Amino acid sequence: MATLVNPADISPRSVANKSDKKALLNAIRMTLGVQSPAVRLNTQTFNRNRYAATSILPDYDALKDRARQIKENAISNLPELLRELQASVVANGGHFYLAKTAADANAHIRDVLLRHEVKLVVKGKSITSEETRLNHDLEAAGLTVAETDLAEFILQVADEQPSHIIAPALHYSRERITALFKRKFTTDLPLDTGEELTVFAREKLRQQFIAADAGISGANLIAADSGSLMLVESEGNIRMTTTLPPLHIAIAGIEKVVPSRTDFGTFIELLPRSGTGQPLTSYVSILHPPIKAPSFAAPGKTPKPREFHMVLIDNGRSRMREDPVLREALYCIRCSACLNSCANFETVGGHAFGGETYSGGIGGSWEAGTGTLMNARFSELCTACSRCVPNCPVRIDIPWLNENLRQRMNFEQPRSAAKAAFGDMTGSAPEDRVAPLQKQFFGNYSTFGKWGTRFFGLSNASMNLPGARAFMEKVFGVDRRRTLPAFPKKTWEQLYREEPRSLPAKFRPSLVMLADVFTNYGAPERGMAAIRVLRTVGLDVVLSPAMPDGRAAMSQGMMETARTQANAIAPMLRQYLREGRKIVVLEPSSLAMLRSDFKHLLDDEETSRLLAQNSFEPLEMLWNVAQQQKLDLGRIFPASKSKHGTKLFYHSHCQQRTCNSATQTIDVLRAAGFDVVTSSVECCGMAGSFGYKHDYYDLSMAVGEDLFAQVRRADQDGGPRVLVASGISCHEQLFAGMGREVVHPAELLAGTAS
Amino acid sequence: MVQSSLLEDFTKAAIKAVATVEVIDRSPDALGEAILRAVGDAQRILYAPPHELPADLFANFASDPRVRADATPDEMIHTAAGVTEAFAAVASTGSICVDVGQERTGMVSLLAPLQVAVVAAENIVPQPRDLFRAEVLDGKGLSRDFCFVTGPSATADMGPLVRGVHGPHKLHIIVLR
Repeated sequence: MATLVNPADISPRSVANKSDKKALLNAIRMTLGVQSPAVRLNTQTFNRNRYAATSILPDYDALKDRARQIKENAISNLPELLRELQASVVANGGHFYLAKTAADANAHIRDVLLRHEVKLVVKGKSITSEETRLNHDLEAAGLTVAETDLAEFILQVADEQPSHIIAPALHYSRERITALFKRKFTTDLPLDTGEELTVFAREKLRQQFIAADAGISGANLIAADSGSLMLVESEGNIRMTTTLPPLHIAIAGIEKVVPSRTDFGTFIELLPRSGTGQPLTSYVSILHPPIKAPSFAAPGKTPKPREFHMVLIDNGRSRMREDPVLREALYCIRCSACLNSCANFETVGGHAFGGETYSGGIGGSWEAGTGTLMNARFSELCTACSRCVPNCPVRIDIPWLNENLRQRMNFEQPRSAAKAAFGDMTGSAPEDRVAPLQKQFFGNYSTFGKWGTRFFGLSNASMNLPGARAFMEKVFGVDRRRTLPAFPKKTWEQLYREEPRSLPAKFRPSLVMLADVFTNYGAPERGMAAIRVLRTVGLDVVLSPAMPDGRAAMSQGMMETARTQANAIAPMLRQYLREGRKIVVLEPSSLAMLRSDFKHLLDDEETSRLLAQNSFEPLEMLWNVAQQQKLDLGRIFPASKSKHGTKLFYHSHCQQRTCNSATQTIDVLRAAGFDVVTSSVECCGMAGSFGYKHDYYDLSMAVGEDLFAQVRRADQDGGPRVLVASGISCHEQLFAGMGREVVHPAELLAGTAS
Repeated sequence: MVQSSLLEDFTKAAIKAVATVEVIDRSPDALGEAILRAVGDAQRILYAPPHELPADLFANFASDPRVRADATPDEMIHTAAGVTEAFAAVASTGSICVDVGQERTGMVSLLAPLQVAVVAAENIVPQPRDLFRAEVLDGKGLSRDFCFVTGPSATADMGPLVRGVHGPHKLHIIVLR
């Protein structure tokens, strides 16, 4: 095993708060150096298991709709539900307390414990209590707190924050746990296997369970109608915490409340499958405490009557509820699917892609909502690849939340004349001209594309001037090891005008190709290949004028620029629909704008709905037509005539997969006779502009390494395969990692037709 | 027959969740034999008498001198096996539902390394969500304090997957035909 190196001996706690950018960069170095192998292994296992476990749920989509609806209604009726819940808890014989702040919650719990003369309290896993730093406050009051979840036990021993919402110590490999325990405990045991470590911790904690005077648990869900809790676990420690000691305190955020215990039926199907990927975890407790069974009395003690306290915390949640963006986060059921399906998270985990408590795609909104906005800085690591979106059981558009956080963080930046002038010149909306130069550079790609192709000789030559790369790195943060795509001599629009007009259409529908700015200024030949392929099967294709669709701006949090651009391009696209054309979009990130993001950006709802329904990826369109017309793709695009070769390695684009527009490419290529091996990574790591940024270059390449390794494995059987990818930035990343040509599926097909 | 397919699905799913399952005739003899076989040479056996199934069914088993229905706290934490009934089971997940609000059922099903649970075949429901419907099993899932138990306790927190953490290391399920 390679030696793991923590470059500057950085401790997780010291970089937990990332309001200072340096902390974020140090955290990335630390996690890449030490934690990455364990994080990768564990998150990718969860990820695979989740896909398997949800795919066998026959009504997965309907369950998600139902879960979403329950949560929307619950948050909307929250004040009434809290009143109803209080009445239910009291009617059950329990106590109810609504805490405004973390400090308020901690003080209340401390007082309850001291009143009962508790010395030792056992705790089940509660991330909400991590948010309030409950242990710290209880220990300050002289109490002994025993974390009994083995992951929380590790964190308590190591004094670290959670790195994952359901497996908070998943950044620890077995070897590192052994080393930690040997450092912290005196023991003759070898502790060299998972079993030995488990036995060691269990024996220690079993004594605590027997002696404890009180147990503190969290709650996955709470039902207002009955005061019921749902508690999901695998170790049995939550069962012990909630049923052995006479005093049970449950702490949870107010957003955990749903109307009825009947609602648990929806979430019990979704939560474990979306989390660990198990149909159910070992134990799911459904309690409306105080429970009737007698409490456990340690040998020699008399059993005490049971008492139950429910402590719900607000701590910013009411403010989140009033905020149209952060309100979405209140629907989160904390399953971790968005963490495990995120390529960046899989590579660094929550100590880099996370704050003091919450991590991953959804974590930024939680840190901003329960703390301050700049605590969400780590949400910069969300590349909006969108792979979390179809995996979220409550259908939260997590990238949209992070793009809005980015806008808010941009607005916190100091104004400067240089930024304002640069933004004015390059096309930022007035509001967005406070954004850092780097963001305005990447966000206004279309402007640079226009200039770059107009002065093509000059612009490309200038990048080869001595000092040009250093300049780009210093001013715009573009990593000097990256090569920005060279601008072509002619744009897609220009090439299109030179191409002979297409023959009369044989088949409906007739199409318009959106001249997305990425293809227009970055890969016009690829665009032409797509047009030729569609024309080859008798489709009538015209090219739209090139206009930015808002993707580049949105990815930088320049939301006003994105809104302006989206509302400018939409009427043009709508006009094509009126003419009876369907829209084809080559660049998947632009396709995703039409399919999904425009619903947030367009003023006109009907237009966004129509554009979403009538836009297609080119090979998706080809496959649909081939199915309808029973076309023999093997005859039209015979793989045997491919000038590139017939053995392919295909990597689909992350957003293309989220749009369900990826498998059709594979179908087409196989029907044409190609031998296709596909990647199984969530994202290539380039993700538009992300991988070009100097700050994130190492992370981007580390993410890419999974993809490169898959290529190398595929190559072992019969020599190098032709690299095929559908996204522009995937091309750049694959080229950087493998050092050989990457082609678009359309180019491949165009290269077979006679 | 719906019943037998639920039982088949339940058995498959429970085995996948690393429980062991045996289906027996509903008689004191058969049940007594099955439980005693499952607990092997345990020196003491914790027992929470049933509230749903007839107590007579357990009569043969309960007459074994090793069985403790009124164990002391010390015995509770130092016994190899615990035997309870389960009021429901779930076919899609292989889970059993244990009533933890009922006397010592919760503790007996949790503290010993070997958990033995006895469930009636007619109480197998298709999916976990069914426990949250008023018309299923008289709405017991909506009124009780209970736990879905799916296999033995487990953790991956120490690196590899380990079975047997705070809760039982083994789960044996006896289904009454």
